[in-house]
Amino acid sequence: MSDLVTTARTSGTGSVLALAGELDLSTADRVRSALDALALGPGWRLVLDLSGVTFCDSSGITALVVAHNRARAVNADLVLAGVPDHLVRMLRVVGLDQVFTTDSGADPREA
Amino acid sequence: MCATGQDPDGGADDARDDSAAAFSALLEDSAEDLYEHAPCGYLSTLLDGRIAKINTTMLGWLGYTREQVVGRLRFADLLTVGGKIYHETHFAPLLRMQGELGGVALELRTADRRRLPVMVTSVVKTGADGQPLLIRTTVFDARDRRSYERELLRAREEAERERDRAQRLATTLQRSLLPPTLPPVPGVEVDSYYHIASPEQVGGDFYDLFPLSGERWGLFLGDVCGKGAGAAAVTSLARYTLRAAAVYDSDPVAVLDNLNTVLNHEYHLDDPRFCTVIFGLLTQTDDGCTVQLASGGHPPALLLRADGTVEQQHTTGGQLVGVLPDPRFVTATVRLTPGDTLLLYTDGLTEARVDAARNRYDDEALLDFATALAPTSASVAITAVRSLLTSFGDGLDDDTAVLALSVPADPGRARR
Repeated sequence: MSDLVTTARTSGTGSVLALAGELDLSTADRVRSALDALALGPGWRLVLDLSGVTFCDSSGITALVVAHNRARAVNADLVLAGVPDHLVRMLRVVGLDQVFTTDSGADPREA
Repeated sequence: MCATGQDPDGGADDARDDSAAAFSALLEDSAEDLYEHAPCGYLSTLLDGRIAKINTTMLGWLGYTREQVVGRLRFADLLTVGGKIYHETHFAPLLRMQGELGGVALELRTADRRRLPVMVTSVVKTGADGQPLLIRTTVFDARDRRSYERELLRAREEAERERDRAQRLATTLQRSLLPPTLPPVPGVEVDSYYHIASPEQVGGDFYDLFPLSGERWGLFLGDVCGKGAGAAAVTSLARYTLRAAAVYDSDPVAVLDNLNTVLNHEYHLDDPRFCTVIFGLLTQTDDGCTVQLASGGHPPALLLRADGTVEQQHTTGGQLVGVLPDPRFVTATVRLTPGDTLLLYTDGLTEARVDAARNRYDDEALLDFATALAPTSASVAITAVRSLLTSFGDGLDDDTAVLALSVPADPGRARR
C-alpha cells in the first residue's frame, strides 16, 4: 500500500488541497473523499498543491481529472501548484499539460 | 391468607394466590425428577467404564431401556466406532490425568443405529481419601450445533469455490482481452508479452495486431486507467472499437478519434474512464515496413536500430483518449529496415518499483536497457523484457503489455 496525506484549507479566493505521497490506484479514492469535503463555488479557485507528490500513475491522473471536472461543474477554476518535474513529464505524456492550468512559480501557501 | 368478602381488594389477592401456587408448582422440588428429565443426559460410570446410572433423557435419546444399559454396557459401547477410538486414545487418558474434561464432541450410536452428535463433559468423583470412585458425565445434544458447524463448513467451501471461480473468470476475461496468438506478418517478426500483476483483478492493458487489406496491418497497444470490472469493460470496448474503426478508416488519427467518441459516451464526470493508446498502421515495403503511429497520451514507442542506436518516437503531446471532447493526437512515421525493432509498452514497465526505497524503473532506465539490447529482434527483445519484468519481483504491481515488431536482419528468416 502507498501513503498519501491530504491537507485541505480555505484561502481568500477558494480552497487549497495539498497532496503529499504516492498518488496511485490505492490512494486515488482518498483524493476523491478530500474533494468531497471541500467548499467550492462559482468563481472560486481550487488549488491542488502537488509539491509533495512523489509518484503518480494513471489512477492519480484520474483523480486530477475528477478534480478538474468538479471545478468545471460549478464554474470554479482549478490550478495545479508546485507540480514536481516527474508529474510535469507525466502530464506532458498524457497531453493534459494543455488542459490543466499550472502555477509552478507561485507558492501555493500564498494562494 | 385473607379471603374475606369485605376486602375490596380480595379479588386481586385471590389472583395473586393462584399465580403463586402455579409458580410453586413450576419450581423444581424434586432433585430426582430434575436428574431424570433434565434437558441433558446424565451418566455415571465406574472407573472401568461400566454404566452405573443413567437418566431418562439419555435413555430416550438412545432408545434403550435402563435394563439394557445399567451394569451391562460401558460408556464407550454407546459411541460410534470413531468415537470409541477417540475415547480410548484421548478422552479416557486425559480424564484420568486431569480429573475432568469438557466440551468434547463425540457421536452416540442409538439403538436404531442412528448417529447422535453430542458434547460431553466428564468429572472424576473422588472419595474422602482422594481415590477416584466414579466418573460423572453430562451429555448435551449437539445436533443443532453440528448442523450449524456443517452449515459454516459448507458456506466456507462454497466461498472458496466461488473465489476460485472468480479467479478463473478474471484470468479468462484477461485472456479474452488479448489476442490468443498474433497472426504472422510476412517479412516482419512479431512478438508480445502480457504480464498479469494480480490473478484476482483484471487489469486494463491491451494490444492487438490484425490484417486490414493487402499489405496493410493494424496494430495497437494501450492502457485503460484503473482495474477491476469497470476497467475490463472499457478495455474490451476499446479493443473492439479500435479494430472496427481501423477497418472503416485506417488513418491512425481517425481511428483514435473514433475511439474517443465511443469512450466519451461511456464517460462519467466522477468516474472518468480513459485510456492511453498507441495505434499503428503497418504497410509492408520491399525491404521491411513503415509504421504510421498515432499516440493518445501513451509513452513513446522505442525504435531499436540495426546500428545499435535507440530512438524514442516523438508522439508526445497526444492527449489521452476518452476524457476530452476534441483531443489532439500526435503522429510519427517509422521506417523499419532489416535489423530494426520497434518496441511498444505500457507504463507498468516504467513504473515498477526497483528497490526497497520505492524508487521506480523509469524512462531513462528503459532507454539504457534498450540501448544495451540493440540491435535485436522482436523475439529477443520480448524475452529480454520478460526477464527484466521477472527481476522486478513484487515491485511490479501493475499489469504490463509489450509488443515488438522487427524486420529480420536476414530477410529469409521471417518467411520461413
